[in-house]
Amino acid sequence: MFKLLLKNLPPSHGPQGKRLFQKSSFLVVATVFLFLCSGLVQAQQRNVSGTVTGEGNSPLPGVTVVLKGTTNGTSTDAEGRYSLTVTDAQANGTLVFSYIGYLSKEVALAGQSTVNVNLASDAKALDEIIVVGYGTQNKRDVTGSVASLDEKDFNAGPITNPLQQINGRAAGVNINQVGSEPGQAPSIRIRGITSLIGGNDPLVVVDGIQGDLNLLKQIPPSEIASMEILKDASATAIYGSRGAAGVVLVTTKKGKIGETSIEYSGVASIETIAKNYDLLNASEYRAAATARGIENSYDFGGDTDWVDAITRRGYTTTHNLAVSGGTENFSYRTSLTGILQQGIIKKSNSENYIARFQGTQSAFKDKLALTFNLNTSLLTNDFNNGGRIGEAINRRPTDPIYVENPLNKDTGPYFIDPNGFNYLNPVARTNEIVDGDRTNNLFGSLRAEYTIFNGLTATGFGSWRKTDREYQNYISARTTQENARNLGVVPANLTGAERDLYIQNLPDGIATRELNSSDEKLFNFILNYKKDFGNHSIDVIGVNEWQQQVYNGFRASARGFTVDSENNLSTLQSSDPTLFQAGNITSYKSDRTLASFLGRVNYSFMDKYMLSASFRRDGSSVFGANNKWANFYSFSGAWRVSEEAFMSGLDVMNDLKFRVGYGETGNQQGLGPLNSVRLVNNDGTVFFGGSVIPNFSITQNENRDLRWEVKKMYNAGIDFGFFEGKLSGTLDGYYGLTSDLLFDYAVPQPPYPFGTIKANIGEIMNKGLEASLSYALIDKENVGVTLAGNVATTKTEVKELSGSLNGLPLETDYVVWASGGTTGVASTNNAISHLIIGQSLGTFYLFKHAGVDANGNQIIDDLNGDGIISDGNRENPDRYVAGQALPKFTWAFTPSARYKSFDLNMVLRGAHGHKIFNARRATMSALGSFGQTNMLKSALEDGINNLTYATDYWLEDGDFARLENLTLGYNVNTTKFGAIKNLRLSFTANNLFVITDYSGIDPELSTSGGSGFGVDYGIYPRTRSFALGINATF
Amino acid sequence: MKKIFYSALIFASAFFVGCTDLDEGIYGQQVADDFYATEAGVNAALANIYNEVRGDWNGKGIAGADRGWFDLNESSTDEMLIPRRADGAWDDNGIWRAMYQHTWTGSQEFIGNTWNWLYRSIFKANLAVELLTKANADPARIAEAKVLRAYFYYMLMDGWGDVPFYTENNVTVDQIPQTPRAEVFKFIESELKSNVDLLTTAKGGQFYGRFNKWAGYALLGKLYLNAQVYTGTQRWADAIAASDKVINEGGFSLVPTLYDNAGAQAIFGDRLPDQEVILAVYVDALTAPRNIIGIRTLHGPHANALFGFSGWNGATVHQDFINKYDDADKRKDQWFIGPQPGGVSYNLNISSIDNAGITDGARNAKYLPVAPFVGNESTSNDFPVYRYADILLTKAEALLRSNGDQATARALVNQVRNRAGLANLTGTLTLNEIYDERGRELVWEGHRRQDMIRFGTFTAARAFKAASADKYKLFPIPAEAISNNPTLKQNPGY
Repeated sequence: MFKLLLKNLPPSHGPQGKRLFQKSSFLVVATVFLFLCSGLVQAQQRNVSGTVTGEGNSPLPGVTVVLKGTTNGTSTDAEGRYSLTVTDAQANGTLVFSYIGYLSKEVALAGQSTVNVNLASDAKALDEIIVVGYGTQNKRDVTGSVASLDEKDFNAGPITNPLQQINGRAAGVNINQVGSEPGQAPSIRIRGITSLIGGNDPLVVVDGIQGDLNLLKQIPPSEIASMEILKDASATAIYGSRGAAGVVLVTTKKGKIGETSIEYSGVASIETIAKNYDLLNASEYRAAATARGIENSYDFGGDTDWVDAITRRGYTTTHNLAVSGGTENFSYRTSLTGILQQGIIKKSNSENYIARFQGTQSAFKDKLALTFNLNTSLLTNDFNNGGRIGEAINRRPTDPIYVENPLNKDTGPYFIDPNGFNYLNPVARTNEIVDGDRTNNLFGSLRAEYTIFNGLTATGFGSWRKTDREYQNYISARTTQENARNLGVVPANLTGAERDLYIQNLPDGIATRELNSSDEKLFNFILNYKKDFGNHSIDVIGVNEWQQQVYNGFRASARGFTVDSENNLSTLQSSDPTLFQAGNITSYKSDRTLASFLGRVNYSFMDKYMLSASFRRDGSSVFGANNKWANFYSFSGAWRVSEEAFMSGLDVMNDLKFRVGYGETGNQQGLGPLNSVRLVNNDGTVFFGGSVIPNFSITQNENRDLRWEVKKMYNAGIDFGFFEGKLSGTLDGYYGLTSDLLFDYAVPQPPYPFGTIKANIGEIMNKGLEASLSYALIDKENVGVTLAGNVATTKTEVKELSGSLNGLPLETDYVVWASGGTTGVASTNNAISHLIIGQSLGTFYLFKHAGVDANGNQIIDDLNGDGIISDGNRENPDRYVAGQALPKFTWAFTPSARYKSFDLNMVLRGAHGHKIFNARRATMSALGSFGQTNMLKSALEDGINNLTYATDYWLEDGDFARLENLTLGYNVNTTKFGAIKNLRLSFTANNLFVITDYSGIDPELSTSGGSGFGVDYGIYPRTRSFALGINATF
Repeated sequence: MKKIFYSALIFASAFFVGCTDLDEGIYGQQVADDFYATEAGVNAALANIYNEVRGDWNGKGIAGADRGWFDLNESSTDEMLIPRRADGAWDDNGIWRAMYQHTWTGSQEFIGNTWNWLYRSIFKANLAVELLTKANADPARIAEAKVLRAYFYYMLMDGWGDVPFYTENNVTVDQIPQTPRAEVFKFIESELKSNVDLLTTAKGGQFYGRFNKWAGYALLGKLYLNAQVYTGTQRWADAIAASDKVINEGGFSLVPTLYDNAGAQAIFGDRLPDQEVILAVYVDALTAPRNIIGIRTLHGPHANALFGFSGWNGATVHQDFINKYDDADKRKDQWFIGPQPGGVSYNLNISSIDNAGITDGARNAKYLPVAPFVGNESTSNDFPVYRYADILLTKAEALLRSNGDQATARALVNQVRNRAGLANLTGTLTLNEIYDERGRELVWEGHRRQDMIRFGTFTAARAFKAASADKYKLFPIPAEAISNNPTLKQNPGY
């Protein structure tokens, strides 16, 4: 079957091949179905079937059905049906029905061919088991703030990254997709921004393997069983110096004991640009130029829609084929996944192929459990990012794309403006660039868990993750990039035509190759003791952990080739040796080591009172010499009120739990290796002693006290369930304070040789409220409607930036956090957003627009009335606080409905209370450049010739509501389909509409908190997509 | 079984407990304290100062790249004008017009760039002096580091007046007082006097691009020539004495053909002649970038026709300056006026500073690009810091100002004029003649601001510029420097 699948895959390189693949993908799927239908139906001796139901006679899917004492088993489908083949000899055996949260039931077959059972729920076990740091816990016992999502909560559609399937599903977890560039993962922020340069990406832990967000790219979204997000410090403190930004725990699907199951899921989607810039077309441009009295020397007689010329229809296709099964002692699951994207900008593509295998072996009378995990993937990207759109919208519509007699024969047929400075033809750049990478990822892990005696287990776990990335870039003269053509020198004695000829024959092209590899190892050793003593129950773990990461790589670049083709990437040595530049060859290596000791005690009394305490001691090689070890800890408790006797009369209330917690976590993401020592680096070259020699230079202000950021966080929450669980929800409030804030603080020059020093000084405060609610409006056998949603508020404030460093008072305030992107505005007046003590992180601090004068110059409001507009980006009496870049609150409405075999899911989400600085619009509105570049239509109405200050004129409300996902599903009745156990078809629309006042192409911009966020410098266009999906189980 | 398991457990945990070695692996870099303890490290510390001397982006270096020291000292004068073009090019929010018209402020980018560059250079020089002294290095090398440091302070004092002063790196900011201009002057003077004679007398070869004894005296001569501006006290005799050292002992002479092919080839090309150029900045686009002065002046198609890359169409000069050249003056040939290859024709006259025609203004060929190139981002022209013609004019000026021998002064000026194909001056030599001669000879070599201040013409009204206040003779202390060190006192008037 694999062979067949592979054979049907056409070559995937080159645009034609890709196109073909998209079109034929459904054909492939259909072929697979046919093959399976005819091939896997086996001769049967005897069939036992039936339906398993749970409470209220609702069907129970996923119930394990095993013939006792054998490995013969299966599980129920979505309608609770099962079907099992037994031999005649087994016809009098016993069937065991088991399901998490329900009491197992054994039924003697006694020759029956239909066995229907009803399972009773196990009141105590009904709770979900959820994954927490270094272990699992009953959800009912959790004392911290943890969002737990499993497959039924995931968004459907063309999912290319696991984060997309939980977008909008958890309160306070902000998943932000900026544009739709293939291969670009969304960013995730858990409870806002807590660090400036220390990193705000959560730690990712996949089945115990720790990594950064890139680790998620290696996990097939459809192979994920559940995702847990640890939000508060009492939950994350167990991860110590890596826990401050939250933790995302991913558990992948595992094989089950029983019959072999084959699952296929596939999605094919078509994407179009949701919104384009409203630009002048050629005739409008000419009319406006005439009106403005511009000589027609700009006009090259073209009529070009540059954006249209570099874009196309996008496609996303995903395939996932998984095989799982198991016997009494061994179970496995293996899968092959392909995630293929063709971006809407030409030559922007991404292909991700992932294969994984997971096996579980039990041995020594079930005392030893071995879990083995192997995952390998190949991720290939072709880059043409949002910058292409920026280039295209800038070009005059009156420029042609091609010319018959090019100015320069090396550039091929592409038009170049002979008078233009570094004129770049966007179509040439888009079509001719060779820019892409291939990343080979491999990770594996082995867990050995041994039960020493009842309650005490010892676990050894080791993982190893390797990535090798190979990057290639070839800039030919045909890209029209000026620095890539006519390299070298014309002899001075040549003139006229001879000289022209010589210039045309000069070598062209720049080739770059780069290799980056990383190698991350982790070992931990865990002792765990779990015991119930009457009303007391305890769960204690102690862990010793060691991690090491090694990064190294090299890069080589060569310029000037006789034949200007991308083949030069394979023969860098054929470049012109005289064009070698300092810095054309570089290499690097660095490492970091983390050693930790940690422990946690969970205690519960009568299932009513829960206490938890954790401690972690981290030692890290990246900490300064004076601060090598750090301690982190947390306490939390919960009170399950609903278990109290005095609540027993209240039937409406099924569940009520109060939680409080406090913890201290750290953040060391911002510390690179060797930040804390005064280093001498190679720093280019220097001419000295009659020749050019390597130069060595001090490259940073050193700080031997450099350490992790500390985040202290309080959390209080309520979990509740009313009306037999029909209405359930969670409320949480938190207050967090990051101190020892890492930042590049300004220091006086002299004596410091560099203007900033990395140090731990300031403070950031973070607080918010979160609520999730779910209400089952209708819950009948054939019809159901559930209303669900979540809301979160976040306030992130810069509390302090000043302080002292070794006695040196540092006055840091009004730090520029975003600037530029506004053509013509001098770098001394182009600051847009700032870090201001007492204000929200990334506050817009701008000049005030007061109109346009007769010459088209912007009039700036002299706010302090002193008669002059003060220059400057920092604290300035003529600037004012104009709004914040971070949304004040975010929400998602996620209702679902089902009717018979149909179901409907949607995610409507929004963000409010923030502003966006539309730098793209500002740049496209400066009429002073009319004749050189294209403009927005609105520019003619704005009538601004020159931008001289960053003003609030370009600041717009960022509020939006987006229909992120709408999915209609249909479960096909498969009783007559033979081998097909389940078949589900679905249709998904993404980004059907956006409600916003923002005038740019999409209001969803980076809210990552990093420098430059909240400003629209131009993005890869956001797409609207329509997708068909198939899920089938055999 | 259990026993075995327990033992294994204990061993296993012992393995993990051992894993607490947290030393950082150091691969590509060197820890400063270790590196500078080696002889190679000490040498590298001296070489590293020269890395700061060559021009590069972000205002680094004496000259070559833009937005640093060179532009502060050129675009504020009458010999360089970067107008906004009619197509919007070089608008740059008026930063170039502010330079020309003297309306800059403390947040002006070039000012901050240059300040930071000079203090970073001083840090490196301090480090080299400390390390070389500790290592008992060759006195000539220690002297070289000290002279370089004096040179950086000279530029600081020349630009800003009273400046923070320190000579040892391990101090905090409160130990770096803002020192009066006259005291900084005194330090530079004494540092030069006690070290210049220790420097090598060799020219070129391994000393090309480095401070030798003659470059040291050239600097000393400049210091004395401007002493009245710096301290209020005239030092003409000292200026003459320092110049005489170069003239009488240095063995320099004017290159006879320096301007002969101006316009067809660069006056200052790949390697400057040791015969005339006393101190050069070595530039190589590939290995030691960068020089953009030649690229910045040429119009796109013109440069394209000559070199295959487009020029920036930026720097030019007002016709009033060109009109000071005699038609017979070979040096006039360094200005491109009229039709050029690539279908470009430069108009001598500039119509406006705010809306100049695309091809308005004469362009300069002094640094006409020489290979290797890196596109239109760098050429390989070296840059002359001091040359013999400058020293001749320095001595002539000092003689004239101190009522010295007219004939000697005239002969010195005539040396320079004869090389340009001009006849001898015969009448009474005037200061104005020296001023104009300096302009014609040394245009775009970074001397003009200092000269104009000394001759009292800097703040005067000229084409496209009204008279400016006296405060503009000093640059303001950068706003950022004051915000990071509030004890600094801003220069008067800013």
